[in-house]
Amino acid sequence: MKLRESLRLSWRSIRGHTLRSTLTTLGVVIGIAAVITFVTLGVSLEAGILGDVETGDTNRIYVWGSPPDQGGGPGEGAELVFTQRDVTELRDLEDVAAAYPWTPLPTESMAHGNDTVPIRQGVIATGPEYLDSEQIDDGRQFTEGEHEAVLNPAAAAQFEGNVSVGDRITVSVPGDSEVNVTVVGILDTSEGQGPFEGFGEDPRVYLPADPVYLDLAGEATDDPRYLSVIVEAESPRTVETTRDSARDYLTSNASDASDYLGDDLELTLQTGGELLDQIRDILDRVTAFVTGIAVISLVVGAIGIANIMLVSVTERTREIGIMKAVGAQNRDVLTLFLTEAAILGVIGAVGGTVLGAVAGWAATEYADLPLSYPFEWFAIAVGVGVLVGIVSGLYPAWRAARTDPIEALRYE
Amino acid sequence: MGDDPAVTLGDVRKTYRVGEPVHALDGVDLTLDRGSYTAVMGPSGSGKSTLMNLVGCLDTPTEGTVTVDGTDVTELSDRDRTSLRGDEIGFVFQTFNLMPKLTARENVALPLIFQGVPGSRRTERADEILERVGLGDRGDHRPNELSGGQRQRVAIARALVTDPTLVLADEPTGNLDTETGAIIMDLFDEVRAAGNTVLVVTHERHIAERADRIVHLLDGRVERVEPLRDAGAAG
Repeated sequence: MKLRESLRLSWRSIRGHTLRSTLTTLGVVIGIAAVITFVTLGVSLEAGILGDVETGDTNRIYVWGSPPDQGGGPGEGAELVFTQRDVTELRDLEDVAAAYPWTPLPTESMAHGNDTVPIRQGVIATGPEYLDSEQIDDGRQFTEGEHEAVLNPAAAAQFEGNVSVGDRITVSVPGDSEVNVTVVGILDTSEGQGPFEGFGEDPRVYLPADPVYLDLAGEATDDPRYLSVIVEAESPRTVETTRDSARDYLTSNASDASDYLGDDLELTLQTGGELLDQIRDILDRVTAFVTGIAVISLVVGAIGIANIMLVSVTERTREIGIMKAVGAQNRDVLTLFLTEAAILGVIGAVGGTVLGAVAGWAATEYADLPLSYPFEWFAIAVGVGVLVGIVSGLYPAWRAARTDPIEALRYE
Repeated sequence: MGDDPAVTLGDVRKTYRVGEPVHALDGVDLTLDRGSYTAVMGPSGSGKSTLMNLVGCLDTPTEGTVTVDGTDVTELSDRDRTSLRGDEIGFVFQTFNLMPKLTARENVALPLIFQGVPGSRRTERADEILERVGLGDRGDHRPNELSGGQRQRVAIARALVTDPTLVLADEPTGNLDTETGAIIMDLFDEVRAAGNTVLVVTHERHIAERADRIVHLLDGRVERVEPLRDAGAAG
């Protein structure tokens, strides 16, 4: 029997049991759709997060000191170990394009005129290079040595009537100290600007560490120190050399950091690329885990096909007998039932892929992520659908092929 | 083809072993000449069904030979026996045994699918045979849209579509009223008149009397052969 004939006959049989075939297919549709949706979501999430970070981040080295075996994310457990002298020395190293501190300023409130809002975290003392000037929507980058600040839209929106470029705000820190800064720029996004901050949208204020942080911290201590330092290489290619130079300096006796690190703290120098890999790794695991759960529903779908095919073989015993009586070979009967199972699998896979693509689109819209389709998975899904159909149809089809025509013709 | 008889059974024995061996057929010799019309009668348990399965190449004997169209069935593989069955035997059953989801035309054309006949040729041939059994206008109907007599006519058309050596009918009127049964039996007369070999298994005397001769089976043996008329003089 030709493949075309078995396709036609199988299709007739599927059409003959529309409701049953639909329900059977639905199992595969849901399974494939779940896989596609979660993979799409995972890929889109990865693209969304990494897309935010990736530009300009691969030549950065994030440096902090924390207790050994601290674990956790970048900067976790970091202590104040870097002095302004260390930052200056790092800047002078041959392979270093830029070096600047990154340290959160402990604050109590911000005031704009008579409008005072509490702010406990999110005020970050750093260098001007930390902010991408292309991300400044209005105004300019703050200047080192000046009492200036750049706000993100979420921070600007804290005040009634928004804060705009040129306004002055007062930042109060614990111990009744305060500092006045001029707002010189507003960012175009409230998302975090680096791995130390996380990627969520929170109100953030960026200030020059020198002089704002040094002034405020200097009131409390003789040797103000930073939580972390960011060192930039000339290019992503030289980032390893730059890291080695920075490590050599920071661990040498010449640095202040080596004193403060002592024996209890461990220095970590992580490149942006490594951090991206870590994030990617975590996201991949999450995606794999969720997809794994989705695959379970696909297995359930496969069992559904096998079950229905078995019922179908029993129910059509007499038809099998008729076909054999009029000259159908075992192979013909096997092909017919396998084709039927494969068709159910293919329909399920195609339907599931379409549904999954739509669901993936809806999910990324809802989560406000850039949609990124894993097209290779679409192909895999259809392949898996056929495979699911054939594998789950194998045993029922084999049973059908082995049916004794004499018994089958007598079957009521 | 040639001068061989359509079917020959030589000292055929069929033994089922279900605890005590049961001799369903116990040394049967039977020859069906080409173009002949034979009826087989016998009480239940006489071996009618076993004889039918053997002649229809659905089963093989424990001992003895079954020759269909000059080919010894006992020598064939399962595969070749299936091919021979598809080519040389046309079945007509008591319960019609049509494919419920296929139209009359598709049912008639079904055996040709397994012979690899192309689609257009199949349709052509099926329509031709349906016309012959008087159902030229029912090709698109499904079995559940046809009367019992019409269904049996579709089944006969299906049996004839491959132009088989032998048309094998098992109680063909068992599910039909007397009047419809008579019409069906008239159709068998026509089939025979067209040159086909016919074997009808029945327990009804008036059905069997349509044949040239009646073979009486009892306890797995041929009890007697009752000639009714000369071959070729169907009535």
